[in-house]
Amino acid sequence: MNLLLVLLGKLALFVSQTFNLGSGSTWPGHIAMETNSNFVRDVLKSNPNLKIVLIAGTNGKTTTSLMLQKILEEAKLKVFRNEAGANLLNGIASSIIKNSNILGNLVYDIAIFEVDENNLGEAIKQVSNVRSQLSIVLLNLFRDQLDRYGEVNTIAKKWDEALRKLPLSTVIFTNGDDPKLSDIANDSTLVRYYFGIEEKEMKSEKPGVDSDFTYCPDCQTKLKYSKTSYSHLGKFMCPGCGLTNPETETFPNLPHSLFGKYNIYNTNAAALVANKAFDVPIEKIKDALSDFKPAFGRQEVLKYKNREIIMLLSKNPAGFNQSIEAIKDLNKKGNILLILNDRIPDGRDVSWIWDVDFENLPKDSKIFITGDRAYDMGLRVKYASIIHNSEFIIQNLEEAIEEATSETSTGETLFILPTYSAMLEARKIITGKAIL
Amino acid sequence: MKKRSITIGWLYPDLMNTYGDRGNIIVLTKRAEWRGINVKVEQIFVSTSEKRLATCDLLFMGGAQDTQQEIVNRDLQDKKGKVLIDKIEKETPGLFICGAYQFLGKYYKTADGKELKGLGIFPLFTENPGESHARLIGNVMVEPKVEGLTSPIVGFENHGGRTYLDYKNNRLADVTKGFGNNGKDGSEGIVYKNSFGTYLHGPILPKNPQFADLLLTKTLEHKYGEKFHLEPLDDSIETKAREIILNKLGSL
Repeated sequence: MNLLLVLLGKLALFVSQTFNLGSGSTWPGHIAMETNSNFVRDVLKSNPNLKIVLIAGTNGKTTTSLMLQKILEEAKLKVFRNEAGANLLNGIASSIIKNSNILGNLVYDIAIFEVDENNLGEAIKQVSNVRSQLSIVLLNLFRDQLDRYGEVNTIAKKWDEALRKLPLSTVIFTNGDDPKLSDIANDSTLVRYYFGIEEKEMKSEKPGVDSDFTYCPDCQTKLKYSKTSYSHLGKFMCPGCGLTNPETETFPNLPHSLFGKYNIYNTNAAALVANKAFDVPIEKIKDALSDFKPAFGRQEVLKYKNREIIMLLSKNPAGFNQSIEAIKDLNKKGNILLILNDRIPDGRDVSWIWDVDFENLPKDSKIFITGDRAYDMGLRVKYASIIHNSEFIIQNLEEAIEEATSETSTGETLFILPTYSAMLEARKIITGKAIL
Repeated sequence: MKKRSITIGWLYPDLMNTYGDRGNIIVLTKRAEWRGINVKVEQIFVSTSEKRLATCDLLFMGGAQDTQQEIVNRDLQDKKGKVLIDKIEKETPGLFICGAYQFLGKYYKTADGKELKGLGIFPLFTENPGESHARLIGNVMVEPKVEGLTSPIVGFENHGGRTYLDYKNNRLADVTKGFGNNGKDGSEGIVYKNSFGTYLHGPILPKNPQFADLLLTKTLEHKYGEKFHLEPLDDSIETKAREIILNKLGSL
C-alpha cells in the first residue's frame, strides 16, 4: 500500500516537474496522507536505521536545517530534508516520496524535517513510534501570524504537551536564552542540550517591545535581565523563584557567513546537533560553515541590473527587528525596499508591523514601500518620522522594484525586506523564475 | 497660545500589548506633538505606584493573552484598580482594546467555564463559548454612533470572547462587515462617559485618525476645561490605507 503511494507520489512529482505546475513540494505528500494518515510513520518504521531531526521555531528553521545538512554531508553522511516552507505533514511526506527509491526504501543516514510551529505535535505523533534515533530542535518562539495561530502561549503549551509524548531516547536541543523554551525543556526527563550566544554579543539590557515571555513561566514574577540579545532572549533571573538560564553552548570560534545575532543562534543550534547527536568534531563543523550559502530569500545575495540585492525575509516583529539591526551592522551604502502582503502565508492581519521598531531604520537610506498593504506600511513608517509623504509608496511590485533599483547607484546595495509571499514574488521578478 | 501638555497613561505595556497595540500610543503622541502639544507617556507596570496612574490625562490599555491577563487582573484588584475606576468615573478619557475592554466589564467567563471578575466599570459581560466555537477573526468595518465621528472605523478583530452590553444604546458602533461584540446583535464596542472599549486592533488609531483626534480633543477639554479645535493634518496616506481595506471589504 505505502509502496504504491510512494510510486504514485513519484509519478505526481514527475508530472508536476515536467509541466512546471509548481506545487510539487506538497501535493504528492498530500495525496499519500489523504490515503493513509499514518503514511509518514509507516514509511519511517520500515527504515529503522534512518535518524531523524525535527526543527521547530518561529524563525530560522530553513537556515538551521540547511546548515545542519551541509555539516552532516561534509562529514560523509547521507542527508535529505523537506523543502523550505513545505513544513506541514504533506511537505514532510512529499520529501519522503521524493527521496525513496522504487522499493520504498530511504537510502539515507539522516532526515532533517523543518516543522511548522503549530504542527510540531502532529509531526511528533508520526515519528514517536518509530525505532529511529530522534532529535528535536526548538529554536525560538515569537508572536507570528496570530490570525492563524491564536496566542503564542497556545503554541508553547502545545510544545510542552508534545514533548511529554516522546520516546526516552529522544534528545532535545533548545535555546537556553529563551525563558519559556528553556523552562519547557527543564521540565522534561529527556536528554537536553542548550545553545545560546556569547554574552559579549548581547548589547542591550532590556527585552524588546516584540517580546512575548518576560515573566517567569513558573511563578509569573517579572524576570530581571542582565543582558538581552534580541526580543525576550537573554540572561535572565527570576526574583521570585530563582529560575535562571541553563548553561549554554556558544561556540565562540565558529565562522559566520550570515550576519545578525539570530544567525549566530541558528549556527550554534546546527553545530550543537551535529556535535552531540552525530559526533561531528568542531573542526569539521567549522570547515563546513566557512562557505555556507544561505537559503533563498534568507540573506540571499542577488545581482540585478548591476546592483547588489540582499533579500531578508522579514515576516514577524522579532525577525523584522533583527533584519533592521543586521542592515545597520552591515553599514553598506544603499536603499531599502519594504514589501508588506497580507495573504494566507503572510497572515491576514498586518497589526504586527506596529511592534517593529522602524524608528531604527538607517537615516541615510531611501525607503521604498510596496505590497498589497503598502499604505499600512507607509503609515507605520510615517509615524516613525522616516517618510513624510506618499512619494515612496508604490503599490505595483514590479514598478517599485524598478524604482528602488534605479534610485540605487551601481555598486550600492538594495536591501529588500519582504513578507513570505512577497519574497517569492520579488524573487521571481529579480531572477526571472519561480522557485515554488 | 499657551503651550499645552498631556500625560498618556499606558497601562501594562509589557503585558497588555499584542497585535501592535502600541501603535495607538505612537499615533496619539505624534498627532499631539505635530500640533505643538507636549506629550509625556507614563508607562504603568505592575511595579508602578498607583499615584503615577492618578497623574494621567488619557488612559490606554491594549489586548493580551490569558496568562498575561491573569497577572494584570491580580494587580488591578488592589489600589491601582480603585484609581482606575475613579478616573474613568470622573470622565478621564480612555481607550481600552480587546482584553482590556473585557476587563472593565462585570465578568469574563473563560473557554473552560471559569468566571473571572472584572472591574465592573462598563455595563457589560463577556463569555467565551468554548474551544469548539471559532474565534471571531478578520477585517472589520463599523459605523460609529458617537458625536464627532463621521467616518466608518476600520480594523482587525481576533477574539474568542463574546461581549454583551446591558444597554445596546451604549454601543460605540454598528457592525457593517465583521463580527463586533458578539457576532450576533450587530453592535461593536462601548462608550462609557469619556472612555471607549472596542475589539478593534489594526491597531485601531493609525487608520482612523478622526478617532485619534477625538480622543486628543476630549483629553484637552477635560484637562483645561475649555473647547478645543485641533488643526487638520495631512492624512493622505491614512486615506489611501483606509481605501484599500474598505475595497477589500467590498465597501467602496
